[in-house]
Amino acid sequence: MVGAVYATMKISFLIHNAYGIGGTITTTFNLAGALAERHDVEIVSALRHREHPHLVLDPRVRLRALVDLRKEADHPLHQRPAKVFPAAEYRHRQYSELTDQRIGEWLEALDTDVVIGTRPGLNVHIARQAPQRVLRVGQEHLTLDNHPPGLRTALRRAYRRLDVITTVTEADAAAYRRKMWLPGVHVEALPNSVPDPALSPADGTAKIVIAAGRLVPVKRYDLLIEAFAQVAAAFPDWQLRIYGKGEEEPRLRELIERLRLWNNVFLMGAATPMEAEWAKGSIGAAASDFEPFGMTIVEAMRCGLPVVSTDCPYGPGEIIQDGADGRLVPVKDADALASALLELVGDDERRRRMGRTALDNARRFAPGPVVAQAERLLEKALTTRTTGRRTTTLPDHRTSGALTGRGHAARDAAHAAAVGALRAIRKGR
Amino acid sequence: MTMHRDTHLRTHCAIDPDGRVTFRLPPGPALRPQLLLRLRPQKGRPETTLHLLDLEPGRAGGQLHAVLEPHPALDEGRWDLYLLPEPEAERQRLRPGLRDLRVLVDGHLRDRPSPVAVRVPYVTKDGFLALRAWRRTAHAEVRAIDVTEQALTVEARLHGAELHEGATVRLRLRGSDTVRDLRPRIDDDGRGFSFTAGPEDLTGSTAGPGRIWDAFVRPAADAPPVRIGRLLDDVADRKHVFVYPALTAGGSSSRPYYTVDNDLAIEVTPAESPICPK
Repeated sequence: MVGAVYATMKISFLIHNAYGIGGTITTTFNLAGALAERHDVEIVSALRHREHPHLVLDPRVRLRALVDLRKEADHPLHQRPAKVFPAAEYRHRQYSELTDQRIGEWLEALDTDVVIGTRPGLNVHIARQAPQRVLRVGQEHLTLDNHPPGLRTALRRAYRRLDVITTVTEADAAAYRRKMWLPGVHVEALPNSVPDPALSPADGTAKIVIAAGRLVPVKRYDLLIEAFAQVAAAFPDWQLRIYGKGEEEPRLRELIERLRLWNNVFLMGAATPMEAEWAKGSIGAAASDFEPFGMTIVEAMRCGLPVVSTDCPYGPGEIIQDGADGRLVPVKDADALASALLELVGDDERRRRMGRTALDNARRFAPGPVVAQAERLLEKALTTRTTGRRTTTLPDHRTSGALTGRGHAARDAAHAAAVGALRAIRKGR
Repeated sequence: MTMHRDTHLRTHCAIDPDGRVTFRLPPGPALRPQLLLRLRPQKGRPETTLHLLDLEPGRAGGQLHAVLEPHPALDEGRWDLYLLPEPEAERQRLRPGLRDLRVLVDGHLRDRPSPVAVRVPYVTKDGFLALRAWRRTAHAEVRAIDVTEQALTVEARLHGAELHEGATVRLRLRGSDTVRDLRPRIDDDGRGFSFTAGPEDLTGSTAGPGRIWDAFVRPAADAPPVRIGRLLDDVADRKHVFVYPALTAGGSSSRPYYTVDNDLAIEVTPAESPICPK
């Protein structure tokens, strides 16, 4: 299918709040904007609290909201807890009978080829309420294993009614396949994309290590600072800059003081976009205990920085090639992190070589390849489903567990014969 | 959807080692667009100093370019940036795009002649693009500050002047005539120096609670004082980024910090009160 000219699809994204700031919003805007190159794309925001989005959206993508909190926060239905949006979902408190109703009505009337949910609760809405004529896609931006059991149970029941689940790592896709019984649901890893940088890449000469992310415990900036103490002791003219805000700030400040690192380690505050900041560094760093993807690792590499990261579940190990474009070290090990940083700080030639490799290797996360994969994935799912319906007498193969294996086989066989059928069929609509 | 109303005014800028700033704006309908720099006046005062730069179509993508040459040096202060679509048209304030300031990062490594002129493009608290400028006959750049239980030691380097035999570091109590002179250790090159201040230099009868010492160096016995600060990198607002611990002794707590102008000061507070670096 590579190189095929795809038919135009109508694609709707359903997102929690497109007007905020965050990784899911960024990556959804990136993907939607890139898909809009060839397709008809809209983003529907369940909630809205301000006039304009913080992040800039491609003008070809339409954006609208279902519940406008500026006018409807006091709506009587908004005071009653949501029933469709699962109670075990992290954001349940922000949802209500009003969102249940608005999302439900919108999905019922949906006139697109594809609807894509961007968080568990919205995926449940899509699974339960989107009509069967629409390809139902649920995106997992976190990870299955880290969801609370109650949420996993809710998802297990609902996700069987999806057509496609995308995860951001292979490891999480494997977890879905292994731990959820999802007959007929196609599970595939689709990494987040990072736009092509506008600035020239870093040249590896600056004596700065950079990390970025919210200052929260799981990011383990404490471990990074501890490790950097060894770097500063050996190379006093090197700096560590940490970008971001969060609850850990006072504790990190204290640690910097206790380790006497105030001339070398700086809490820089938040910076958006980060690109011009990465360009000032020579090494990226990440010390997380857990990282569903690792967007900042990709961002740093796309700016030409080798990245030293903990090899935590799930993202870093699928992004960094240890020894080639960065280093992977065991989690919670400050000494290992320090030695890996020192290797790169102390070897200018190796650092620059790895930076160039990082730049090359990270191109697979450019919007181009990621969007091409998304298109292939959606086209294939649409084709499979269309041909599946034509060649089977099952009323709904997705709920027919006993025939799952046969369903997969039949779908695969049908797919080979049916490439191209889609366009003809959908033109007739 | 409708884009941000201001999206078309997002301005990228890049600075080179000489301080030359190149601005890039998306093309617009204006026929004779210019970039306007305005020295921000004090509250309630009229604006006095403006610079105009022509915006010209660049090579790539039809973007508009304007170049702010290193000379003449800008007056010290904060410069706001506007697009002036036509000479008589209403000016529109610019939003920041990417600021490529990488060459500023190790700016302290180059010795500067007098006058020392520095510019750093930055983003204002309310989200607009602006330019921070310093212009000083001479400048002493802090390199490191050590704080122990006994004293605080500042390492710095003089730019635009040379240190002589009788050089002194002068701490001046803000809002008063009280000064403390300290003897610096001077490097062989007559540029690098360091000084140590102990509790006895910072507290005492004249320095009550909540006092602030501003730090200067006098390169020779009769030379005018040169401000000690930290201007020669990419950080325009340093106060809450470069944060130091306090030296606590004799019931007082002395904490070095950078002012909103990135000058070095030492704040002395009663030790028992909770210290808040903000």
